[in-house]
Order: sequence, then C-alpha cells, then structure tokens
Amino acid sequence: MTARAIMNLRSILIASAVFRLVLILYGEWQDAHMEVRYTDVDYLVFSDAASLMASGSSPYKRTTYRYSPLLAFLLIPNSFLHRAWGKFIFSASDLLVGYFIYKILKQRKVAEDLCLYSVMVWLLNPFTFTIGTRGNCEPIVCAMILWILICLMNGKIIQAAVWYGLVVHFRIYPIIYALPIIVVLDPRYVQLGKKPLLVNWKSNTQKPSSQSSEEASTRYNLWTAAKSMFSRERILFGLVSGGIFFLCTGLFFHLYKWEFLNEALLYHLTRADPRHNFSIYFYHIYLHYGHQLSLVEKLISFLPQSMVQLVLISSFAQDLPFCFFLQTVAFVAFNKVITAQYFVWFFCLLPLILPWSDMKLRWEGLSCVGLWMGAQLHWLLWGYLLEFRGQNVFLQLWMASLVFLLANAAVMAVFIRRQGCSPIFLQMKVRDAKGGVKSE
Amino acid sequence: MIVFREISPAEDFYYPIGSLISIFRNDKDDALLVPMRIVGWISRRSEMGVLWSFFFCCCFPVVALSISGDCSSLEDCILKSYFSKHEVLSDSSFQDLLQDELSKFSCKLLPGDPNPQLTLSGLGRRLIGEGSHRHLSSTIQLQIPPQSFPLQSCKLVMIERLPSGVFADPFELDHLLHHGAYAAIGVFGDTNLELPSVSSNRSAVEIHMNFKHNTSSGAMSALGIRIDLPLHARYAALHESGYSEVAFGTPDLLVSCSMEGSSEKRSCLIVPSSDSNKLRTDVVVWKIPCGIMSHTNVVSVVTFATAFVSTLVIVLPSVLYSKPR
Repeated sequence: MTARAIMNLRSILIASAVFRLVLILYGEWQDAHMEVRYTDVDYLVFSDAASLMASGSSPYKRTTYRYSPLLAFLLIPNSFLHRAWGKFIFSASDLLVGYFIYKILKQRKVAEDLCLYSVMVWLLNPFTFTIGTRGNCEPIVCAMILWILICLMNGKIIQAAVWYGLVVHFRIYPIIYALPIIVVLDPRYVQLGKKPLLVNWKSNTQKPSSQSSEEASTRYNLWTAAKSMFSRERILFGLVSGGIFFLCTGLFFHLYKWEFLNEALLYHLTRADPRHNFSIYFYHIYLHYGHQLSLVEKLISFLPQSMVQLVLISSFAQDLPFCFFLQTVAFVAFNKVITAQYFVWFFCLLPLILPWSDMKLRWEGLSCVGLWMGAQLHWLLWGYLLEFRGQNVFLQLWMASLVFLLANAAVMAVFIRRQGCSPIFLQMKVRDAKGGVKSE
Repeated sequence: MIVFREISPAEDFYYPIGSLISIFRNDKDDALLVPMRIVGWISRRSEMGVLWSFFFCCCFPVVALSISGDCSSLEDCILKSYFSKHEVLSDSSFQDLLQDELSKFSCKLLPGDPNPQLTLSGLGRRLIGEGSHRHLSSTIQLQIPPQSFPLQSCKLVMIERLPSGVFADPFELDHLLHHGAYAAIGVFGDTNLELPSVSSNRSAVEIHMNFKHNTSSGAMSALGIRIDLPLHARYAALHESGYSEVAFGTPDLLVSCSMEGSSEKRSCLIVPSSDSNKLRTDVVVWKIPCGIMSHTNVVSVVTFATAFVSTLVIVLPSVLYSKPR
C-alpha cells in the first residue's frame, strides 16, 4: 500500500478520532490521579451548570457560567450518562470541522492531496485536539461557521441565516462576519433558489485564466448600487438571522431573566479584565482599575479594532473565507482580553485559504509560524515568571504582549501580500425587471 | 457562595436518621435504605450542607450540652452563623461571636471528672510555594489526656480568617474534599475568583479534620496535625515598590466533640489552652507583585501607539494588494 492509498480522508478522520478518544481517556485518568487537572476549569463550569439545569434551576446559579443556556442543555447527559459526554461532543465537532474543510475545498475543485494536507493542518494541530479533549466548546462554534460557509456556497441562504443567528447567540464574536456576508450576497453572485457559481481553484500550472472578465465587477451607477444594496437575498438573510437571534434571546430572557442577559451577553461586551493575558490593554486596564476611563480613552481603544475590520471587509469581502480569517485574527489580536482558546476561531479557517496562498512552506510559511509561536512563547515565559515565580515583571509582560500584537499584524501582512483577494463567487446571469434572465 | 460538605466514609450511610437507627439495629436493613436515601437527598437539597457527626458515643462520660439557637448541627454554626449576621468579615465582631458560641456550646463534663487539659503545644506556620498560588501549611501540636477525651468522636476545627488580597477557591477545596484530604471544609465571605483586591472583601475558611486513632498510652498523648490550605493571590492595589505584602494572622483552633445524650445530636466546643509564652507562632507574609503607578503614562501612550502602528501594518497591504487576481 502506497502512502497515497493510506492517506485518504477516511483514514485521517479515523486516526484523529482514535487519538482524541485516547486523549479523553487519559484526561479522565489524570483528573483522578494527579494534582493538576487535564480538564479545563471551564468544562467543570459547564457540567455544573448543566446539572443545575437538569434539576430545573437556572444554569446561571453557577458562578462564572457565561455562555448560552444551549450549551448547558447540550451537556445535560453529563449528569446521567458520563461526565465526559461533553468532551465527546466537542471532539466530534472537531472531526466534523475537518470533514467540512474537506467538503468546502473539494467543492472548489482543489487537488486531492492539497485538500488532505489542509485537513491535516486542522486535525493534527496541537491547539485543536487539546481544546476539544480538555472540554472547551469552541469546536462547536467552528463547525457552525463552516456549515454557514457551505450553505452560502450552495445558495441555501435561509439555512445559512438560521445557523448564523444561532451562532451569534452562542458566541457573540461572529457578528463581525455580518457585513462581509451581506456584501457577498450580491444578486450578481448569489440568487435565491439558485446554486451560485464558484470560482474553482487553479494549480500553479494553470494560473493564466480567461475567467478574469467574468470575475471583474461591472460598472454600475449609483442607482444600481442602491437597488442591489437592498436585494431580496440580503434582506432575507438579515431578517431571518436577526429573527433567530432575538427569538433565542427572548426565550432565554423569559426563562432566566436578567441573569441570562448580564452573564451571557452584557459581560462579554463590557469585559475589562485587569488580570494578565495576551492583550496589549491588560496593563493599561490594571493601572486604571477603579478609575473611570474618559470617553476619549474608551474611543481610542475602540478605534484601531473598528478601522481594521472595516478596511478588511471593504478589501476582501468577495473572498469570503479569507475575509473571515483576517477579520478573526485582527479581532482576537486587538481585543481587550485574549485567551488561548480564541485562537481556534481562526485556526479552523486557515485550511480554507492555504490552497490559494502563494506562500511557500519553506521558508516564508515556516518563518510566519515561527514568528507567531515565538512571540507567544516569549509572552508565556514572562507570564510564568509573574504567576509561578512571583516576580514583578509586569512591564516586561506588557512589552511581550505588544510584540505579540506586532507579530500578529506582520503575519497578517504576509498573508495578504501572498494571497490577495481570490473571490469565491462567479458572476451569474442577472435577473432583469421582468424576472427573466439576461446575461451581462 | 457557600460550599460546605462532608466526605462520607466508606459505608456511605451517614444520614442522621440512618445513623440513629443503625445504633439500635446492628445491621443495615435494605428496606430502610430507600426512605433514608430520600431523606438524605432532601436534606442535601438545602444549601446548608449539614455536617453529620460520625458516631454516637456510647461509652464516654460526657453529658448533654445546653441547646439553643437555630442551628441544627454545631459544625456549620460558627462561620455560617457569623456570615448570616454580618456582610463583611471583621476580626473584632468575629471574636465576639466566637466567645458567644463557646459560652453556649462549651463541653461540660460529669462531676467528678478532672478538668481535661487539652493543650496546644505548638503551632507552626509556613507559606509553601512561589508565585500567585501557594499553600498555607499549619502544623498543630496538641497534648490530649486520652481517658477523658473521646478522640474518635472529636475533630479539630480550624478557622482561618484570610487577609484581603488572598482567596481560597471553593471548587478546588471541593476537589480536595473528594480526595479525602479533610473531613469537611468550607469557604465563607467573598469567594469571587476574578476581582482584584480593591473590589473584594475578605473571606474565611473553616476546616474540620478528624483525629487519627492514637495508640499511645499514658497520661498524655501528643497529636500532630498538618493542614495544607491552597490559596491564591488576588491582583493587588498599585504600589511604588512593585510588591504588596499580605500578612496572615493566627488561626482559631477549636476541638469539637459530638455528644451522647438527648435525641438531637449536638456537638460541643473546647478551646485548647496554650501557654502564650511558650507558644511561638511564625508570622507569615506573602509578597504579591503589583503594578507600579508611575508606569501609567508610559504604558498608556505606548499601548495606543503600538495599536496604531499595527493598524497601519494591516491596513496598508490590504489597500495595496486587494485587487482580485
């Protein structure tokens, strides 16, 4: 059996599944026999909240439970089946993300071996398998985001909108994807009831293409622009996703009242944690803790994030996976609080853009990885000295977080340089006023 | 939030009614298990987490104590009753309450018995570890007259009033409880794990340890107990030196014995006497790193400047290289 024959999607998925099962079992053993737990503290919070919900009370009675009640609902079997049920669910979502990555790339006609390498970038990433097996719920969010992408690629706008409303309710950050999705739901590319035309991947040997004329945007005047801004697809997407979000919020507010709103929604919007984390703002927040920040200061911290998001959306919205990826990296990097589990949000999108990148693994790719990991390890070193050795290294830790932000920005710049914008949709035949079809 | 539970010993059968019945019946009757489990389940539903004394002492010369107050069991009275009356932990009001409890629940002995001299002969205190997560280790030496003391029905109660600036994690203590480290342990007061010390109030930990069966004979037996309490530092208020010092006081040590007597189970309290001249308690100080006020301006300016530079690093290539290929 050649390496190629062994290496197909099924074998990769099975090997990953077995490996995750082994890790879950090891985690249970470590929890029982060693001082330091393998399981994340958050998982215990979810389990407690789920058992509270199973006994009929509010999951928010558990302190530090700051998620949607849907998560506690999913983990109810923790109480009567086995306490590792949640970990199985999260690892299964993990594998599902791998499968979705394969599906998306195959639909765009990426070469088989590139597909498999991309899938391996997710499934064999140490961040990925530890996050699911330690009991973090992020793989579920990643799976939902990828499913939304698949629905959009297949023209299923309503289904995409339903899942989008759900995922924003679950974790607030996907709201940053709202604008690019709306932009990409251009009636020239996506129409209700029709499957959109996708731009297929071309290997390096086929680079010069004749598709450029079809992909180029047509000139259109202000009137056309205004008309298409409120196209059927966009309005439908907005209404359905907004409706689902408010339905969920309303339902859980009715069940759990203000506790739900404060813990699950408002906490995330106003969170300013002075404790050390990767964010550049932590020391600033700590030094100003207890003092009211002036309006100017609040705006200044909000400005870089919003500017970067807007520029990225206006430049890359047509290349939806790449736009999502860049937006997520920027969102995490400029956020007031950064924890390691947030990195999974963009790791699930990375395999989707790699086939289009001109970056060679040697040495550009490896140096990007090295720079990003190096900046992180540098921060972790100072963090260790502060937290576990009790040395006052706040200034050095803060500088390490500045370096980390710059490293993130540099890696993003390299990606942008090597990729540019590869639109995902081809222009379709356009509807005319009478409902008939005419091509441009 | 109050977490106050006791580990159940091997039999897993320590509901109060069950214990009472098991005294009169020497076997565990299966038919009684179900209703007693239901009673136990109902009693556990209440947030109090009632502690159960282990055995009725049948053969020790102790007498009923005076019962008053609304606590159904003594052990959860001390800190629980304190925090039911006070919002915030204050040393003076706690001492008053402790004196109150001792006068109400002091162990009384049968006339004719010599006054038991339970003595605290040594109290060693050490802070083990470096960094924000450490263990406060207390080594307690007691001298006990074995004849007058029903050791199996007594336990050591230690109340550690934590200074502001450190906290104990209730979930971690729960984990330790399940591993059998203590008979019972509970945290009271401000147990918020996330807020810095300027926004937090003090908390206190109450620990119950069983005395191990002690085989020495003779007039007095010595007992050594070591209690390890895992603690965490809160983010301290800013200080120019870069370190904030947190000093620990001495813990309150009591012995609680369960009594045979009236139909309701009660425990009584004894304070070990100590010779304050001979007893030398180590002063424990924890240096916690904290932010320095004079950094404020530099940090704010450089933070926002870096954010601005990073924005440019991302925005410029986006504008230059975003043409569709």
